[in-house]
Amino acid sequence: MFDRHQDLKTIRRCKRGEEAAFAEILARYRGPIYNLCHRMTRNPEDARDLSQEVFIKVFRLLDRYDEEFAFSSWLFRIATNHCIDHLRRNRMRFLSLEGVTGPDGEEFELQIPHGGPEPDTVLERKEAVQRLEEVIADLPPHYRAITLLRHQQQLSYDEIAEVLQLPLGTVKARIHRARAQIQQMLEARAYDI
Amino acid sequence: MDGYDQRNDRAEGALNCPDCRQELQDYLDGTLDKKRSLGVFLHLRECAACRVEHDALHAVFMRLDTLPELEAPADFDAAVLASVPYAAYRAMEPLRRERVPVFLEDHFLPAWMRARVTRAGGLIAAAGATGAWLAGPGQAWLLVVAAAGAAPEILLRLQWVGRRLVGVRRAEG
Repeated sequence: MFDRHQDLKTIRRCKRGEEAAFAEILARYRGPIYNLCHRMTRNPEDARDLSQEVFIKVFRLLDRYDEEFAFSSWLFRIATNHCIDHLRRNRMRFLSLEGVTGPDGEEFELQIPHGGPEPDTVLERKEAVQRLEEVIADLPPHYRAITLLRHQQQLSYDEIAEVLQLPLGTVKARIHRARAQIQQMLEARAYDI
Repeated sequence: MDGYDQRNDRAEGALNCPDCRQELQDYLDGTLDKKRSLGVFLHLRECAACRVEHDALHAVFMRLDTLPELEAPADFDAAVLASVPYAAYRAMEPLRRERVPVFLEDHFLPAWMRARVTRAGGLIAAAGATGAWLAGPGQAWLLVVAAAGAAPEILLRLQWVGRRLVGVRRAEG
């Protein structure tokens, strides 16, 4: 999906100090990174701040980028971790129970079922996309990130494994569990998409 | 396990409902091998309950794949570029310059060998020795003198060519 060779050339120009090259990187990845941050936080202001911080962080860390890996993978890794850190810092936003361990020993958050649509958002939730976004936003952060990388960014399992630095089997298992949770939440809330 | 139709595993090698549901995500992802994929396909044709499950999951996949693109704010790039310390970055450029193998570094050769006097003198000696060798009876020691005289200049030129080649290879990626 992303041109690895083209990215590498642009990054090398960035490292030589060409300001226009970093503007090219911004133009290429602004959309994907902003979308990822937006769907991770479901808040436009947070998404803007987080995605801008991601690009500034990437610039500062350019010298540490290992050219053996795709630049897009490195960028998505930084963005995903940045969003997850942000969500952790703002745990109060989530109705979650911490420290629950799944069948594979992996810790995840239990979401308390939603009590039903708020009166002032009934109209909003008529839109199928918004229902789905709501459900995605209620996934534990790791599942949310993996779902967005797979479905929104259309990354392959291998690419996601590279981004998240996880074994392929773990990536597959997490995606499967994330989708199963989405389906369960849709059913539990009687959301028809 | 409501809705599971266990009768469908009657045929040898055919999938049963739990196995089919286990494979549904990979089936929709297109990551199943042909044999398994055909197994799921045939099971879905026979089993209404699994078909319902498949359709529901397919709808989720479709919706997830078609989430609308959100537009970043108009001033997004300007805000990032304004925060990027380009001047400082450029000032540190020499420190980040990619290194070449140590034998291609200028300082790998001793200073006396790099000195212009040595190089010019060596070339003059090499030219004189070569001329004498061509004019005379072909004494071998003259060739040794010629080679020794030309060595500093040749080594410096080879280093320069090596550095250029490394630079070209890196630029090509």
